[in-house]
Amino acid sequence: MARLFRFLEKKRGQRRTGSNLAGSVGEAIFCGTLFLLGVLALTALVAAQVVRYDPQSLAIGVGWWLVFLVLSSFVVIGGVGLIRTTLRVSASAERRGAMARQASELDIVREAAPRPKHYPTVPSYDGLTNSPGVELAYRLPPSATPGWRLLATTLFTLAWNGVACVLAVWTVQGHLARQPDWFLTAFFLPFLAVGVWSIRYLLMQIWLHTGMGLTTVEISDCPLVPGRTYRVAIAQHGHITVKSLELWLVCEEEATYRQGTDIRTEVRRVFEQQLWSHRDFRIEPSEPFQATAPLPIPATAMHSFHAAHNSVNWKLAVRGEVAHWPPFERGFSIVVYPGEATLRVEVSASVARNALRPQLAANGTTTGAKA
Amino acid sequence: MSDRSGDSVDPLLSICLAGGKQSFSAGDELICEYQIDAIDPTDIQAVEVSVVWYTEGKGEEDMGVHYFERRLPSDAEDGDLRPMRRLRTRLPNSPLSYSGAILTIRWCIRLRVFLRRRGDSVMEYPFTLGAVPLRVPAVA
Repeated sequence: MARLFRFLEKKRGQRRTGSNLAGSVGEAIFCGTLFLLGVLALTALVAAQVVRYDPQSLAIGVGWWLVFLVLSSFVVIGGVGLIRTTLRVSASAERRGAMARQASELDIVREAAPRPKHYPTVPSYDGLTNSPGVELAYRLPPSATPGWRLLATTLFTLAWNGVACVLAVWTVQGHLARQPDWFLTAFFLPFLAVGVWSIRYLLMQIWLHTGMGLTTVEISDCPLVPGRTYRVAIAQHGHITVKSLELWLVCEEEATYRQGTDIRTEVRRVFEQQLWSHRDFRIEPSEPFQATAPLPIPATAMHSFHAAHNSVNWKLAVRGEVAHWPPFERGFSIVVYPGEATLRVEVSASVARNALRPQLAANGTTTGAKA
Repeated sequence: MSDRSGDSVDPLLSICLAGGKQSFSAGDELICEYQIDAIDPTDIQAVEVSVVWYTEGKGEEDMGVHYFERRLPSDAEDGDLRPMRRLRTRLPNSPLSYSGAILTIRWCIRLRVFLRRRGDSVMEYPFTLGAVPLRVPAVA
């Protein structure tokens, strides 16, 4: 009985412990009902206007048109859901993938931007070459824009401390009137602590991004190929006393997965190599610090890879420790293509002999491994 | 992946790679033959053969189709999809087979047979593309 009907099912990303067929049938029934409901109600709504025309009800506002929009959304959502479900049930994952590939090859927007056509899944590097450098060929854009983080921190701090102010007025009023609400006071104190922490964090972020000064990184060529050595130039602006400044070549794997209703991303650093470091020096606003270093890409390095949920990202990371400042790290994405050493496979003599045979040999046959 | 009823016998699927080669360089031509056996030809609704890469690991699965062919009984002589058939495709430059810390990229030839009233039956033949070391150098 438990095999036929489960009360509790687990959902791990796109995988479910229950029957896929039962799930798809349920989804199709839901979408079909929504579509049918929408079509019938929409037909009735329009037919009523055709039979008994009422210009007053067609006035722009939240009357007839709102109902029309809601019912149209039923038709669209139900119809699209039904088509998607039907396609998923009737076509295998490979067939859907082949259809998606054909569609992407016809994509007009993609055609407009230069893409590495012969290197599928290697990310495009057009965003890295549109800014010429002063010292070397290209100036790299920072991989994470501090503006968004600063904006999010500002909004959170404003909202949190706004509520904290209201709570503070209530709490203090109660105490002044000698009718203290101890539950509210106990709730307010940790709330206030978070508010103070958020202000401190916001000030630190502003301090870090305005006072620290700009970091620029330039490279001699793009895209980068493993086994070759390039040049990298770094410039650090500001008015600071630097304890240490380092430049690293970093490779990270990034995986996105669903956990319940949350979408989580895990990043794992799998390779890092120090390219350059400098200690104990001072930077003046009139004279930014500049240095160049060789940038060797390991011959057997994995190429940059980008898919919907997984990626392999290469970047140049600038790490600094500055007197009276928190340590900082700024990343600059680069694109690494497959190298000669990884594209070619060393074939053993026996395999090479077999490969030269005109007929397909009987070896290498695999049976049984059914999914 | 495959739906099978308990009382029916699964078809025998076989894939054979030319020269017994299991590692390919980018741009190499992959030649293989596949065959279906131990099933009545009228039971086969369609046969799909594909060369795909897919990811394994912490993240959700990504999959890319490099080669895809779907055959129906009407495409075959006498409507019989069982006889040996050759697949030939030139492999791309990327993604190369990779085994990392939280991400693995694998390549395979996938043979999928759709059976009348019995769902489908799948077989995979893995191979590697390129020569990225199995383990990347550790973080210093």
